[in-house]
This record gives sequence, structure tokens and C-alpha cells, in this order.
Amino acid sequence: MSIFEAIWQAISTILSNKLRSGLTLLSVALGVFAIFIAGSLSDSIDSTVENQLNDLGENVFMIKRMPSGGFGGRNWRKYRSRPRINLKELDLLKREVKSTKLISGFASDGGNVVQSIYTESPSDVTISGIDENYFMNYSRSIAEGRPISAGDLASNNQVAVIGPDVIKRVFPFSNPIGEKIRIQSQEFEIIGILEEKGAVLGNSQDNMVLLPLNLYIKYYSNRWESIDISVNALSQDKLQNTLGETIGAMRLIRNLSPVEDINFEIETNEALTEQFSGLRQTITIFGLLVGIFTLIAAGIGITNIMLITVKERTREIGVRKALGAKSRWVLYQFIIETITICQIGGLIGVLVAITLGKIFASQVDFTFVISGFWIIFAVIVTTLLGIVSGYYPSWKASKLNPIDALRYE
Amino acid sequence: MSNSVIDIKSIKKVYKMGQEEVHALREVSLNIQQNEYVALMGPSGSGKSTLMNILGCLDTPSSGNYFFRGKDVSKLKDNKLAEIRNREIGFVFQTFNLLARSSSLKNVELPLVYSGLKKKERDEKAKNKLTEVGLGDRLDHKPNELSGGQRQRVAIARALVTNPSIILADEPTGNLDSKTGVEIMKLFNDLWKNGNTIILVTHEEEIAQHAKRIIRLKDGLIETDEINSNPIIYN
Ligand SMILES: Nc1ncnc2c1ncn2[C@@H]1O[C@H](COP(=O)(O)OP(=O)(O)OP(=O)(O)O)[C@@H](O)[C@H]1O
Ligand SMILES: [Mg+2]
Repeated sequence: MSIFEAIWQAISTILSNKLRSGLTLLSVALGVFAIFIAGSLSDSIDSTVENQLNDLGENVFMIKRMPSGGFGGRNWRKYRSRPRINLKELDLLKREVKSTKLISGFASDGGNVVQSIYTESPSDVTISGIDENYFMNYSRSIAEGRPISAGDLASNNQVAVIGPDVIKRVFPFSNPIGEKIRIQSQEFEIIGILEEKGAVLGNSQDNMVLLPLNLYIKYYSNRWESIDISVNALSQDKLQNTLGETIGAMRLIRNLSPVEDINFEIETNEALTEQFSGLRQTITIFGLLVGIFTLIAAGIGITNIMLITVKERTREIGVRKALGAKSRWVLYQFIIETITICQIGGLIGVLVAITLGKIFASQVDFTFVISGFWIIFAVIVTTLLGIVSGYYPSWKASKLNPIDALRYE
Repeated sequence: MSNSVIDIKSIKKVYKMGQEEVHALREVSLNIQQNEYVALMGPSGSGKSTLMNILGCLDTPSSGNYFFRGKDVSKLKDNKLAEIRNREIGFVFQTFNLLARSSSLKNVELPLVYSGLKKKERDEKAKNKLTEVGLGDRLDHKPNELSGGQRQRVAIARALVTNPSIILADEPTGNLDSKTGVEIMKLFNDLWKNGNTIILVTHEEEIAQHAKRIIRLKDGLIETDEINSNPIIYN
């Protein structure tokens, strides 16, 4: 019995009962979709986080008022009472920490309008206050012009470095270096253009304007604004040492006694990775569970369809046996048919998952990773589903007595 | 004895229906030689189909022995019986029993699929047989695109395609009008002339008269077994 004939037979089984098999295909597709999306999403998070960590530099850690992401929901009350990190604390820290000078303050605000003499941008530009160490700690470089320097901060220069996305929107015709932009009531001279970077976790890194941190705080921050400080320990060996020194310095600056808990957040790459791997695990487990339960339901549906199919085709089975089909071949034929039905369902699920994943990814600038592993996993799962759910009906078919089967009306 | 295709010795077939026993075949012995043309007749319930099923290795007797070309097949297991059916026996049924969704060609190829032939060989053999029964131009037609007579021809081509030792036909004209029935009987006549061994079951005296030997069953026993002195032969 050739495999192709069994596959054709499976397709005609599907076509001869469009509604019934349509629903079953849908449930297989849904189950495979859930598993595939969960798997791919967790891969995608992995690679996105990896990108972000690489951006931050391996030996950089952060000091923040709150932990990143929404992962610390339970301790909201505790976090809320923490003092914000201000410019003075940043300056003191820069002075106190001896093991590295690469300490950088950062604050930012999304949804701003940037105006040029030609036009204005939609209200979606991120403006960030930075200092001279930002470029090192966040691995950003300048495509043209010069970065913001310590001198700019010291002399309150009204200067800006802008991202390529902003240029496309407000300086469509001319080189913007030396031109002025206006954000709300303030004007800044453009001194540099950022190298293009793309997006991290859905946030474009190019639709931004960088300003000196002190001016940013002065013009655009509100009283809740807290500065994020990044500290670059320069090497893995020095990381623990610098971490200890920095925490000590912050305690000193904030007058914390040795028994008091720190009232700021230290975020290392490791901690970030852990948070994301928690999220990743949740998504993977949830997706797998949804997928497995859907597939169990689908399996029951398929067993049912195949039982009906075997009944409807009793005479055909009788004919095949009369013409010399051994029981084993009848068994194989029906199992292959069931596997084919499952594979078709699985294929639909994977295609829909890839399409939706791509669309989703393009909407939020998120890299959707399609890994061969999850495709192979889907094939294996649907094959097993076919064998498990098709075995009983196929076994029944193979055990039919040819005489009775031939007489069946 | 050397040309004996079928040799059954005192076979019985008993069906148990709860407490009751139905003696479908009481004690039947029969010898059929190569290239015989036999008609099985008898009233309804006399055991014709039961006997045909045993002759066709679809079923085994409750007792007695069945030698098929000298080999005892009365106690073989299902898989061995399937092999014999595949290689040695061609079935023609009253209701044709073609696979509805497959073309004539696919239907005729089916026994060759189970004997493990390659696609190319199967195609060629099936085409030749369909041409022999006059359906060379109907290879791709599905059963529902063929007349009753044409369907039975496809079924006959399927029975012949493995070059079996015997052809068993249970009421092959039962679902056909008399004109088409005669055409099918002409086809059987040709097959017999080409050296095939044919056993057919029929209710109709007219159809039985085509055979060279007529066996009449009654209540599970052979009532008469006679040579037909004046068979209908087509040229
Ligand atoms: N599977 C079975 N179980 C029980 N009894 C059976 C079975 N098959 C046949 N019989 C009985 O055996 C007897 C012979 O049946 P069989 O089908 O051989 O008759 P037949 O000569 O072919 O009749 P017809 O001309 O109506 O086809 C009948 O009494 C029938 O009821
Ligand atoms: Mg009968």
C-alpha cells in the first residue's frame, strides 16, 4: 500500500465530510498553533533579551528607583515610597566611585512632538536626557557630527543629538547638522546624528532626541522623574568589586545605616535575564498546556471521525480484504490517513502562527524567530496525535471479517 | 488429479446463532478441474454463497478439508488466506463492489498494490486488462460515470488482473438487465475459451445454461452435479 494513496485517501476523507473534518482540522490547527506560538515566542524573547543585554554591554549594571518591567507587582507599596534618584545623587556617585568613571545618568519621556523649520513630527518621539558616558554604556555611536560632551552639560549648551527616524520626518531635504529643532518651548542646535540601531522589544531606538541631562530635567521632567544610572565596570573581573563599591556609595549618599535595606534597585544583566526567563517560562508553559489540552480534545474528535469513516467504508474494507489486503495493511492505511489529517491540521496551525507572528512582529518591531526545532516538534506531535487517536478505529477496521464487511449495507 | 484446482472433501459449515446451530453446508465434496465452467444453483438459503466464500478462501469450513491446487488451505490463518485470495482467486460480485472514489484504472490496480507490484507495472497490467474487457477508453472514469454493464466489466478486469487460478462470480448478472447480462456472459465465455476456470452462482436457468457443468444445492447438500449436454456457446 503506497503512502501516497493513503494520503490521497485521507484528503478525500476530509473532503467528503467537510464540516466534521473542518472542525477537527481547526482544533488540531489551534493546538499546534498554541504550541508553536509559545515555543517561537519564548525563542523570540530569548533573542530579543540577548540583543538588549548586548546593547547595554556585558559589564554594565543599573541603579534605578524601580525594577524594570512589571515584574515586581507584589512590592508596589515598598517601591512607591522610595526616593527618586536626582541629579545631585548622580553627581555625588560619580565623585565617590573610584573603580570606574563610566557612570551615566539617563531619563526619558516618550510621545513628544519635534518641530523643525520645515515641519513637525507626530507626537511619538522619545526625548532622553543623557550625559557624556551614555554613548559608551549603551553602545551607541554617532554617524555624523559629535556626541554630547561633559562640557555641554557644564555650560548648559542647548544642543541635541538626534536619531535617523526623526531626521526622516523633520529634515526630509537637508543635512540637519547645525539646524535648530524645537521641543515645546525650547530650541536646540543639532550637533550629531545617531547611528541607526533598529528596535528593542518593540521600541524604536532611532526615533529619539538626546539632550543634555541637566536641561532635560530642567525643561521636561516632572517631580516624579527619577534618573536611571548605568555603571560600566569595564570587565567581568571588576564587576563584583564595582557593584559593592557603588552600593556602598549610594548607601552613604542616602545616609542608610548598615542594617537598613537599600531603597534603590540594582539591576545586573543576570537579574534582567532571570526576570525575562521567568516571563519566558510562563509563556512557554501556558502555551504548551493550552496546546496539549486542545490537542487532546482534537484527538478525541479525530478518533470519532475515524470511527465514523471506518463504519461508512466497511464495504470498501471488505473489498480490500477480499482482494488480498492483510489486516496489517488495513491498519496502516487508516493510521496513515489519520496522521495525514493531523498533519494537514498542524500545517494550517503552523502557517497561521507564522503569518500572525510575522504581522505582530512587524507591528511592534519585535523579532519573531521561526525555528526549525518548533516546526519539527509540530510534525512529531501531529504524527503522535495521528497514531494515538487513529489506532483504535484503524485496529477495528483491520479486524473486520471480510464476508460481513462485504455484506454491510 | 494433477489438473485439479479445487478439491473439497466432506466439508461442513455450521453457524452458531446463540443456542441454535445453522447447518449452512451439511457435507459437501467437490472436485473442479482446470478450465472447467461451473454453475452453482439452488434455492435461496441452500448454501451457495457459503460454499463460494469457502472456495474463495474468505472463510474456512467448520470441518472437512479443502485442497487448493493440492495444498490444504482449510486451516490457514487470515494472513495466509489473504495471500491466496490475492494471487489465486478473482472475485466478481453481484453489486460490483468497486471503490466509488477511484477511477477504473485504480480499481483494477488494487489487487496488484497488495501483491507489491511497482506503479509502472501495475499501470500497464491494469490498462491491458481494461482494454481486454473493452474499456480501454474508460480508464479515468469513476464508477458513477459508468453503466452497470461497464462497472461489471471493470470488476471482471480487476478479478483477472492477477491471472488467478479461478474466477468466482456470485450472481454476476443479478443487478443487470437481461441484455447487459448476456454481454457479461459473452465475456465469461471468452475467458473460459482462453483457459480460465470459472465458477458462478446464479438463480437464472438461462444464465446457468452458459456453464458446462451445473451443480444444484439444496439444504446444504449437493442435490445434482451434471454435465450440461447443450451449453450456450458464443463464437
Ligand atoms: N453469517 C451467518 N450467520 C448465521 N447464519 C448464516 C450466515 N451466513 C449464512 N447463514 C445461513 O446459512 C444458510 C445458507 O446461506 P447462504 O447465504 O449460503 O445461502 P444462498 O444459497 O447464498 O442464498 P441466496 O440465494 O439467498 O443468496 C442460510 O440459512 C443463512 O441464513
Ligand atoms: Mg447468496
